[in-house]
Amino acid sequence: MNDLIRAVGDVVTSEATWISAVTFAALLGFGAVGEWVAEKSGTMNISLEGMLLAGAFAGAVGYDVTESTAAAMAFGALGGVSVAAVQAHMSHHLSADQFVVGLTLNIGVLGLSGFLDGEIEPQTARAARTALPLLSDIPFLGDALFDQPWPMYLLYPMIPLAWWLVYRTRWGLEVRAVGERPNAAHASGIAVNLRRRQSIYLAGLSAGLGGAYLTIGVIGSFDTAMVGGRGFIAIAAVIFGGWTLRGTIAGCVLFGTVLSFRLSLPLVGYELNNELLTSLPFVVTLLAMAVFAQRVRAPGALAQPFIGMPD
Amino acid sequence: MPTESAPVLRVEGLTKRFGSVVACERVDLSLHPRRIHGILGENGAGKTTLMRMLVGLHTPDAGTIEIDGQPCEISNPVDAATYGIAMVHQHLSLVEPLTVWENVALGDNHRLDPAQTRDDVVRLGERYGLPVDPNAVVADLPIGLRQRVEILKSLRRDPRVLILDEPTAMLTPDEAHELFGAIKQLVEEGDRTVALVSHRLDEVIEATNDITVLRRGVVIERTASTDATADSLALAMIGTRPVALKVRTATASTGRVVLRISDAVVAGVEGQRQLDHLNLTLNAGEIVGMAGIENNGQHELIDVLSSLRSLDGGQIRLDNNEVETGSPGAMEAAGIAVIPADRRDSGVVLEMSVAENLALSDTPIAGRLGLIDLDAMRTSAEALIDEYGIDCVGPDAPMWSLSGGNQQRVVLARELCRNPKVLIAAYPTRGLDVGAVAFLNEQLLAAAARGLAVLLVSNETDELLTLATRIVVMFNGSVIGELTGDERDRTRLGLLLGGRTS
Amino acid sequence: MMTRDRAESSSNVSTTSWIEVVALYVMSITLALMLSALLVEATGGSAGTVVEALVSGSLTSPGRWGQTIGIAVPILLVALGTIVSTRGALVNIGQEGQLLIGAGCGAYASVHLGNHHQWPGGVVLVAIIAAGIAGGALWAGIAALLRYKRNVPEVLSTLLLVAIASQVVAYALRRESLLLAPLGRGQGTQTQQTLAVPESARMPSPEIFGNEVSLSLVLALLAAFMVAFALARTIWGFRLTVLGHNARVAQRSGVAAARYGGIAMVTSGAFAGLAGAVMLVGGDFGNYRLSAGFAANIGWTGLLVALVSRGRVLPAVLIAFILACLRTGSGFLAATGVERRITDVVQALLILALLIPPALLYVRERRRTEAALDSRDLS
Repeated sequence: MNDLIRAVGDVVTSEATWISAVTFAALLGFGAVGEWVAEKSGTMNISLEGMLLAGAFAGAVGYDVTESTAAAMAFGALGGVSVAAVQAHMSHHLSADQFVVGLTLNIGVLGLSGFLDGEIEPQTARAARTALPLLSDIPFLGDALFDQPWPMYLLYPMIPLAWWLVYRTRWGLEVRAVGERPNAAHASGIAVNLRRRQSIYLAGLSAGLGGAYLTIGVIGSFDTAMVGGRGFIAIAAVIFGGWTLRGTIAGCVLFGTVLSFRLSLPLVGYELNNELLTSLPFVVTLLAMAVFAQRVRAPGALAQPFIGMPD
Repeated sequence: MPTESAPVLRVEGLTKRFGSVVACERVDLSLHPRRIHGILGENGAGKTTLMRMLVGLHTPDAGTIEIDGQPCEISNPVDAATYGIAMVHQHLSLVEPLTVWENVALGDNHRLDPAQTRDDVVRLGERYGLPVDPNAVVADLPIGLRQRVEILKSLRRDPRVLILDEPTAMLTPDEAHELFGAIKQLVEEGDRTVALVSHRLDEVIEATNDITVLRRGVVIERTASTDATADSLALAMIGTRPVALKVRTATASTGRVVLRISDAVVAGVEGQRQLDHLNLTLNAGEIVGMAGIENNGQHELIDVLSSLRSLDGGQIRLDNNEVETGSPGAMEAAGIAVIPADRRDSGVVLEMSVAENLALSDTPIAGRLGLIDLDAMRTSAEALIDEYGIDCVGPDAPMWSLSGGNQQRVVLARELCRNPKVLIAAYPTRGLDVGAVAFLNEQLLAAAARGLAVLLVSNETDELLTLATRIVVMFNGSVIGELTGDERDRTRLGLLLGGRTS
Repeated sequence: MMTRDRAESSSNVSTTSWIEVVALYVMSITLALMLSALLVEATGGSAGTVVEALVSGSLTSPGRWGQTIGIAVPILLVALGTIVSTRGALVNIGQEGQLLIGAGCGAYASVHLGNHHQWPGGVVLVAIIAAGIAGGALWAGIAALLRYKRNVPEVLSTLLLVAIASQVVAYALRRESLLLAPLGRGQGTQTQQTLAVPESARMPSPEIFGNEVSLSLVLALLAAFMVAFALARTIWGFRLTVLGHNARVAQRSGVAAARYGGIAMVTSGAFAGLAGAVMLVGGDFGNYRLSAGFAANIGWTGLLVALVSRGRVLPAVLIAFILACLRTGSGFLAATGVERRITDVVQALLILALLIPPALLYVRERRRTEAALDSRDLS
């Protein structure tokens, strides 16, 4: 235990560990920002994991075909959105149980990407880092936040954009209404299931970008195990954050940092039990939920299907 | 009776069916500018369906809607708003966790403009005497103010036709009076038309210019309000002369206290108390009416008596034994039967069969070794279906296939068959047709005659005055007054409802 | 009024003919299979040979259907547990982890009682199964505790516990004091696996028509019958059903949510743990040894079986068998040159296809009745 505490101390003071913490937090962020919008509209989008993986694989294929990072990111977004399309229409059109659909999609995407990976074997490379002038010179955090492969920078505008969309536009107002009181929203003339589908598409878009970022910006190759449950941690970040965007991002940073320990602790010279390190993010997430879940209020209609009246 | 001016809105041959149920049948209706048009009918007469068609929440099966003589298609409330039709719903269509201005902005179709919307709320509120803070969260507002928000939401779109669906159902007489004042002002100043949907005869006669009476989806009568009397309207509405309930409970109860609630406290948010040192006793053989504007603690009290929540202070004693609050099934086991306010919420399980719903607490069906005694379940269900006249295809019919009145009979049958000592009936006749209402009232009287202590929670003044031996009035979480014997009149009740004790 | 009511209630009971239902299922399943075939053809394979390989690998080749049953049994066991928790409206989706912990506990019993202390085989077998049940129950119990004491949604906690479970087992697999098999003679590196379950403690598999059929089939069918019976005919099942449909009605009638829901959750975990133990003593997975990746998605598959069969036991038996066929069949795909992962895709498509008809019918029925009720209740 003392080792762990000392290790944490060393980690906090090492720049390399910050870089990997930010990398993981960004991955979670890509997933969580879209998931946050989806949950605001009343969907607990379990298929986020599959969206990330689909984005990762589509990104790899995109790079293989075009050898362009930008195209790879676009492919990734498309991959995420296509999973979203199935989730959205199955759960908010046919009103199949959203968890069942989500789980099936996670397994389906795992199978499909594995199958296609074997058939196509896409060749990918890791994108080079692009230092943002001035910003990257900020001591301590500059390198971690602003000297990264450029796909990561996509996340920075996405966060305020998501906030603006949800709190400052009519669309966002309707999304919140739909997530809280679908019947009232319906009576006000809002197309409940349409708004919910759109929110899921948004989650697919953002998670798809996140997956492609993982392939192109972080690892440089595709592997079916590369998402490995982090989509679920991103969902936990939204709940941890009490369905506020600020809290969600805080959750991503916290869980991302813990996720990075597995890479960063050995880097600063600590040999910690590998299994403990791997499970630590999940344990921390669970503990955080145990502490915070009681204090937050979920959207009123979270995970409840809306079956409109006939016309 | 119609005025000489051309109608703003004209409906011809409007028909709507749901499966085999005909909700509206060839309804004709004309709404004229600067007039208040009452749509009268009992529950299930098709009033709400008709109005929902006007705002695009239902699509008519046949018939036309004309505005200013132009036929138009209205497929959703946003469409309706562009034609200048807005509706204030009976079950308010507000999103409680959002603020007032956000709710007011919902359902517009132009860019969101928070500042403008807030200004509109304040401006319209002042103009029509309906002030409300635009930045307040709706969940924090009392019901009366929430309805204001709903009305402002409609008014902001400057509708030419405003539909109000049972607007006084949750208001005190004073608040209702204020509301009608505001409506008159709206119609006169703004060149508007109002359709007022109601089942209350007096308020329709008082507040409207023209009246259309619906019965089973068909227009029965059109008249000017000045020509109408309560009797003539009632006859049109129900089809037969209303039979006044002649039976009354014996005013003299045995005096034995069965249920005693003392100093009951339920804490709410931010130091408010939903029940504030409430004291109440029920005697064997009497019906106690509980009046009160909605959200003054009645629901919390019913929840406590249904074991659904625990008390933060005080106690409940039945036959002088304390009953643990909030413990699963404790109230029921002690002998307190409840007909809940919303049967779908805590009265029945829609997905299970009638027989299963009749046996929810399992003592009558428990066989040996923890098994269900299917034969016993079936026999007892058949007996109850018979005794209470429950109309269903059989004990195995799914609960959702029953009409509201028959679902209510199932609840009543289940609650009474266990020989309880106390019966809590919360708004038992809400949403039921005349036949079902009469049946329920008879059952309540019979229960009291058998020696049960009955608590009838209602906001139908007539029902309370007819059935109850004494009436207690709830205000802000406690009983602020009691009317017995000859004191039970409308005026005193009205004052108490508004919280005035002198 | 009364006569009109009667007409409505009888017409509301069923508005869909069975022909319509069958047609819907046939259509959506055909669509799923066609999509799968398209995928195979598009990647240069032949759908025809794939189907032949699947049938031959799962049923017609010598000894194969016995093996298919060996795989269907744990899938079914997981599904049965899930049917119980779903009945109480709990969303337990962590069976994969509960199963692995169950298998881990079973392996611990096997290693310590069987291999080290050499207790009699029958006793060890029973101990393995009991340990499996206890392990799965414990793991689900954590989620139940978090749900009822700390308000943590079980959807998420069970899911996170899957990830933790695999690390816990991996940890034990690196310690000789726990599960790791000691280095054998002539063995260069230590592989991360346990000692094999002693032969005497394995589940007997008598040979029937040239197939080894594990006795765990009897166990699973018995369990299926018991679950169906418990849910339909016992007071406990009745109360759990009430809780699952309407928690407030349940509370009123004396059903304590934490108790009934907690028991349902733990039961579901116990079944997953049992499945893990059965996998260990059955030999179809990992050859009587626990190793990393032992769970092999059986937990996920069982969960989907339960959800697709919508809480009914008989369909669950059937679907478990079909999915097991896909799995054993996939072993024969290598010869066709098609990546065996295709069966995962087929499985997902099939499940999505099975979800569509009931969802469609439900929406339609519900809309009709709600509208009818609404027009009578509220207008």
